Amino acid sequence: MTAMQEMEGYYEERGKRARALHESGRKVIGYFCCYVPDEIIAAFDMVPYRIQGNQSIAIDEADAYIEPTACPFARSCFNLALRGEYDFLDGFVAPHSCDTLERMYHIWRHHKPSSFNHYINVPHMQGRSSETFYHEELRYFIECLEDWSGQKMENDKLREAVVLYNRRRAALRELYVLRKGDPSPVSGTEVTKVLVAGMGIPASEHIDLVEHFIAEVRSRPRPQRTGEPRIFVWGNEIDDVAFIRLIEESGAQVVVDDLCTGTRSFWDDVPETEDPLEGIVSRYMGTHCPRSNVPKTETREKDLEKRYGHIARFIGEWQANGAIFYIVRYCDTCELEGPDLREYLSGMGMPVLMIEDDYSISTIGQLRTRIQAFIEMIG
Amino acid sequence: MEEKNQIKTTAVKGTETARKVRGLVKNIYQAAHEAKEQGKKVAYFMVSSQYDEIVRAMDIVPVPTENYAGLCAAKRDMDRFLLKAEEDGYSQVLCSYARIGLGFDSMRRDLGGIPENAPDGGMPKPDMMLGSSAVCDPRFKWYQAAGRYLQVPTYSIDVVGPPPDADLVKVRDHYIRYQKEQLDGLIAFLEQQTGHKMDKERLWEAIRLSDKAWQLWYDIDRLRVAIPGPMPTQDHFSIMVAGHFYSGTQTAVDFYQALYDEVKYKVENKIGVVADEKYRLLYGGGLPPWHTLWIFNYFESFGSVFVIENVYRGYDPVEVPSHIKDPVEYLAWRAFLRFTQRHASARANSGNPTVERLLGMVEDYRIDGVVFHACRSCRAMTVGQIHLKTLLGQYTDIPMMQLISDMVDLRDYSEAQWKAQIGAFIESLVSRDARTTSLRDA
Amino acid sequence: MPFAGIDIGSTMTKVVIVGEKEDILSSVIGPTGAEHRHLAFQVVDAAVKKAGLVFESLDFVVATGYGRINVPFADKQITEITCHARGVRVLQPTVRTIIDIGGQDCKGIKLDRQGKVSNFVMNDKCAAGTGRFLEVIAEALGIELADMGELSLRAETYVKISNTCTVFAEHEVTSQLAEGAAIPEIVAGLHEAIAGRVVNMVRQLGIEKDVVVTGGGAKNIGLVRAIERKVGFPVILPPDPFLTGALGAALLGRDFFGRGMRRDHKRAMEGVTFFK
Repeated sequence: MTAMQEMEGYYEERGKRARALHESGRKVIGYFCCYVPDEIIAAFDMVPYRIQGNQSIAIDEADAYIEPTACPFARSCFNLALRGEYDFLDGFVAPHSCDTLERMYHIWRHHKPSSFNHYINVPHMQGRSSETFYHEELRYFIECLEDWSGQKMENDKLREAVVLYNRRRAALRELYVLRKGDPSPVSGTEVTKVLVAGMGIPASEHIDLVEHFIAEVRSRPRPQRTGEPRIFVWGNEIDDVAFIRLIEESGAQVVVDDLCTGTRSFWDDVPETEDPLEGIVSRYMGTHCPRSNVPKTETREKDLEKRYGHIARFIGEWQANGAIFYIVRYCDTCELEGPDLREYLSGMGMPVLMIEDDYSISTIGQLRTRIQAFIEMIG
Repeated sequence: MEEKNQIKTTAVKGTETARKVRGLVKNIYQAAHEAKEQGKKVAYFMVSSQYDEIVRAMDIVPVPTENYAGLCAAKRDMDRFLLKAEEDGYSQVLCSYARIGLGFDSMRRDLGGIPENAPDGGMPKPDMMLGSSAVCDPRFKWYQAAGRYLQVPTYSIDVVGPPPDADLVKVRDHYIRYQKEQLDGLIAFLEQQTGHKMDKERLWEAIRLSDKAWQLWYDIDRLRVAIPGPMPTQDHFSIMVAGHFYSGTQTAVDFYQALYDEVKYKVENKIGVVADEKYRLLYGGGLPPWHTLWIFNYFESFGSVFVIENVYRGYDPVEVPSHIKDPVEYLAWRAFLRFTQRHASARANSGNPTVERLLGMVEDYRIDGVVFHACRSCRAMTVGQIHLKTLLGQYTDIPMMQLISDMVDLRDYSEAQWKAQIGAFIESLVSRDARTTSLRDA
Repeated sequence: MPFAGIDIGSTMTKVVIVGEKEDILSSVIGPTGAEHRHLAFQVVDAAVKKAGLVFESLDFVVATGYGRINVPFADKQITEITCHARGVRVLQPTVRTIIDIGGQDCKGIKLDRQGKVSNFVMNDKCAAGTGRFLEVIAEALGIELADMGELSLRAETYVKISNTCTVFAEHEVTSQLAEGAAIPEIVAGLHEAIAGRVVNMVRQLGIEKDVVVTGGGAKNIGLVRAIERKVGFPVILPPDPFLTGALGAALLGRDFFGRGMRRDHKRAMEGVTFFK
């Protein structure tokens, strides 16, 4: 079996590995989003599991518990929980990512509590006092895990976890660097599977798979140049290949992204500080997510540059010539952010397609025309 | 081609004092325009951000952008602003307050001045924008986005409160410390913008006035347990202006004193909102339907009065420990105590502080039914209502319903549908009443 | 050297055959049924025969529209956005903004000075702003869809319809009727509502002259007038507003041929044999 085939297995049968680990006695801690440090969970020898939704399953049961005008991704995740798909979780951790997840925590916790339930309050603002607050919240999180598990967390184990996860970040970065090729030897569809596979298995296993996959990709024959547009994707959770595949089937290649399931979650390393928690705090607080307010200090231009400079670098280095935004309907944060990012990218001469969708493959057909028309336009 | 005439959509108020609010609201924008002419600082301002007294003490005139959106809807002049925002690429499901605000700013920029016939003279261009993370995310993202129309200094603060399952002993210190530091940061910013230092005595004075006003407001609501109900919810949506937009001023204190006196009089003389009060309703939550506040009168036509609500007076008075001598620290403590007011009772009972508050209201105000308003474009006040209803339903069997529209966007409102729902709801109140009566008589 | 463009819309299938000099040799409009593929061939065949040609002589076939992926004998499938732009540009070279109001969706297309698509916007998520909206209300009012245009021109004032959700609007219309509003005023109000919604969507692109309106909406004079009021100046209507997509598709076929792309006749015939 190739590395990709193995990862496809994890992509298709989500939670299978985690469930097996849970049944073997390991503690599996489910969490949302980029603001819950995997390293802390791993330092307790527990298995972090990043909760996903399922775009192929209609959100039916969740409607009795949470309003349909809430983020469909969050609702889909909860829908799966109601169907028993997350029964293998020993712990459920939600950060304060946004209004909907904040409320989701309480609803989920009430109806489908795990043995351990915890809400991490993540500051919306940035700066010294915000870092201190987040640091305190993480310390409290650790204390609660200690109380529940009966084990004290050792700083050595946390340091080791940081090193391990940095290795995973490095492996993923190496994979992404391959995508700079023209054309990229690995498709966006494949990369999505790699990322999703990593959400539900221990980091060391994922590192192995990714490194093997990189070797496989390197041994592929050099593909022919096609002149197809190279697309940068922006958004939040893309844990299904449908959207990426649609772009690639329409005659383009997805070469790089700023998604919370993508570069946002792994691009920067955690500094390996003496007190590992300090490095963790500074790295996670530096996550480029629209839910975190970048203080405006000067002009509008400088504000946009501060917020999106990293995107300009990705686009430049990966030579993207088109940007597609995938905004989940009802996400106020991204709906307020999208037009700003579009302004910035348009200023760079980058064509932008802003899509608002329902996190469901049933609406994919409607997107087909938009995406294809965009690719025809920039092609 | 001309449009046919409009119908009345604003509510008839129960108290005289509430009718005076129109003047208070107009004055907010008038004061802002005057301030600009006089060279005083004007700031875009978010309600309920725990920073009102600071803004007042620095002599900054606030322009409450959310209130302006509600005002536009009440005057049914919100479409042009909503459409402008959508033209600029903002989604139709985005918070409609933000859409109106952004649409207004966009038009003002394009026109180089206030849009023609803007309600109450419109909002003047601010000297700064002050956002916060209190209540919801759009309240700091909005001003960040508005930066495309307004090149002015923008500052947002975090407002934090722990979840009900947190160990308050363990987290209190870092929450209060963070809150204080956030408020300190705001003060430093305002000192830089205004060129003068914060006068701590003035801040204390503003705090004292604000606490006094909110205490009076609480006392007024306690009077409303009376049967028949002396003051209805539609009045609350007006009189909250004093507590939220005049907080820290004598005006708010005077206003609530006058309202207190009036409500007391009504209670003593058993003067109710309607002649024949049949059902006492609780407005359980959700932003009001600013576009059609008349709907409260529609309920009244069936003898149903909304006697109390859980919306703008979000917390009861708290007592900050007397050893706190610094006013900013006081504000941080006050915020923490306000947000954790019902955490202990929640842990002992339903697990949800809002449910605790609502249950208290159901009992104290002898409530017959609960109505929630779900707004399509508001996540913060809407998501979780179903959950509240479910939890409440475990403790009380009074009828509950959720009306759906939007707080300002008329496109989400269907009067026909609402009337049908309300009719069915009233019937459930009637039949429950009949059942209870017959049980009692049996 | 004939080139065929086939536009499979939600309600109608349109075919245009153009010749070497971008001249229209023939055109046919037929209803779209559930069986796209079968019908697609029939309509193309009819158009081909109408031009005095045979199917096998086609040098390139481009399919567009909602059903474009269901045309096995097409050489390429291109979105209606690109096709409308190509077609309208030939009919009206000064066009910069296209407003297309179809049966189930509405679009705005912006062209640059060279006639290339520079931006576009679509609404296909709900009926508001489409022919379907008018259809539903026409039925509620007991009138013919085709008569709505003329009817609305009789009104001097219009009834404001606030709801753009078709279901809510239907309720609103029923209430208005009950309160004694006249049908022309209601229809005028609906046109105002649709025009407002469509123009607002297209404003996201920046509306520049010349503006061309295509699709079924262009056949409704009341709606067109309402659009002109919103836009602030007269708009241009192509002689055959239903055919611009198919025309563009055919012209694109000619472009592809000119660039050296060739039709795989064998594969195309395989796609057709099933239906012959």
